[in-house]
Amino acid sequence: MKDTETMIEVIDLHKRFKDLHVLKGISTKVKQSEVVAIMGPSGSGKSTFIRCLNRLEEPSSGQIYIEGIDILAPYIDVNLVRTEIGMVFQSFNLFPHLTSIENIKLAPMSVRKISAKEATERAMALLEKVGLADKADAYPEQLSGGQQQRVAIARALAMQPQIMFFDEPTSALDPEMIGEVLDVMRTMVKEGMTMMVVSHEMGFIKEAADRILFLVDGLIVEDGTPDHIFNHSQHKRTIEFLGKIV
Amino acid sequence: MASINLMSEIPDEKNKFARTHPGWSVWLRQPAIVALSFVLLVAYAFFLLPSKESAPPLLFYLSINFFIVLVLAFAGNILADNKKPEILKMVVALMLIVALCWLFYRYSGAQWEKLNDFFFNWATLDGNWWILWQGLEVTLLLAFISGIGSVLVGLLIAVLRTLHSPTLNFFLKTYVDVFRSIPMIVVMVFIFFALPFMGISFGSIASTILALSLGYGAYASECFRAGIESVHSGQLEAARSLGLSRWKTIFKIILPQSIPVVIPPLTGTIVAMLKDTAVASIVAAPELLKRARELYTSETNPTPLVAAALIYLAVLVPLVRAVNLLENKLQKRRNG
Repeated sequence: MKDTETMIEVIDLHKRFKDLHVLKGISTKVKQSEVVAIMGPSGSGKSTFIRCLNRLEEPSSGQIYIEGIDILAPYIDVNLVRTEIGMVFQSFNLFPHLTSIENIKLAPMSVRKISAKEATERAMALLEKVGLADKADAYPEQLSGGQQQRVAIARALAMQPQIMFFDEPTSALDPEMIGEVLDVMRTMVKEGMTMMVVSHEMGFIKEAADRILFLVDGLIVEDGTPDHIFNHSQHKRTIEFLGKIV
Repeated sequence: MASINLMSEIPDEKNKFARTHPGWSVWLRQPAIVALSFVLLVAYAFFLLPSKESAPPLLFYLSINFFIVLVLAFAGNILADNKKPEILKMVVALMLIVALCWLFYRYSGAQWEKLNDFFFNWATLDGNWWILWQGLEVTLLLAFISGIGSVLVGLLIAVLRTLHSPTLNFFLKTYVDVFRSIPMIVVMVFIFFALPFMGISFGSIASTILALSLGYGAYASECFRAGIESVHSGQLEAARSLGLSRWKTIFKIILPQSIPVVIPPLTGTIVAMLKDTAVASIVAAPELLKRARELYTSETNPTPLVAAALIYLAVLVPLVRAVNLLENKLQKRRNG
């Protein structure tokens, strides 16, 4: 029985770096079009968790199902899995030797094998969407942090992924640039993208997230709606943490 | 001699930052003292330096060595003073070189009258220039082919190392360590003279190309590796998260970004390799040094060797300068 509603299912995920036990058994489900925020103190394994889900880190044990398919099975081509999952990084990681539009066109052309013309059209449409059509030929170093992050989002969207991961997308930005990135993310929420967002942007999470996973020391200690977590949490670590960041 | 006044250098007792030692270096740097010491040195050179035949050995060597110490002290006194103008320092440095050359000329015991006959006897090269020219052609050909060979070997090793396979890395590291440790000439001699005993023989040209490619491939791989490591790990993650395969990541993301870092040390390595083609004369490859040595034997005159040295300089000095310019240009571009 394949559950079409469930996009991601994680069962008892563990990750060890040598002696360091970072993830100590994480289980959760993410439904289609759900927006899940992941919060928690630093070192709690938030980044490691979502990096395991597209196998940028190899999980030590556990099961991960993306659209019902076990992506840790030996016959799985991890590159095909990754084309389904867009990822946005804290430090943007645009390719500095390529212009904005080349950054966006690269993967569709070399992985999806679409024509240069089609890739250009799609890239321009995406740049339009993130409000940077005039920066198509700019190199990353000529763009501000916020602009770079918007290009990075467009680059991830160019592969037409089903799921988007955001690993602290606004943490490296100056305060006045955070808004423009969050605006782009809000449009994606409206379009029904399935998203997992590691972030501490309270305003964004309150209005956009369906659920919050609160991680402490490699375990999910709370899983609930923003209203529940922010206003009715009974958990000591959650209250303590929220008290510090507000 | 009013300027030679130690009183002016005695510090005010109230000044807690004043020097407490006498300040000899300051005193010695006064123009009058410098001028006086120069006059004394010239006088020493004319009246106290022994002639080559006359003096008894001990006094002879003491006198010359003392003079050298004084000359060095005089030059150092000026060169170490950052208040003296650069033009004066340049003149003093040149005078120092001339003085030392002059001492060598006068006391080395070389037969200078034979210099022109043996070192600059261009007549011995009449009608023989084409031999050196052929040698240069072979040298450049060897350098060109071995250059390509070593870049390919280096690239292969560096790319294989990005796979981070411990087993593979062990063997690649061993290869690089062995070839960076063993003298080039030993590799060449081994391939040319030893391998034929096993039934494997290479010609002199092939042996040279093989040895240089394998040896300098090890150096080139280190250049590539440094370049690859200079690319931020986030680049790799971004590429992989887009679904790019390992190889596409290397060829589309990592290598294009590492080129500005790789080019300067790599060209430096290739220039070093061009110099090392001279070692091929030991396995009788008909390159520039080998042909010059043939001429030296047939003419019983070392002028062809001098000519070869000058030809190496004429080729390599511009090349070294070009590498330097390239380095600066890439450095500037990287710094924005």
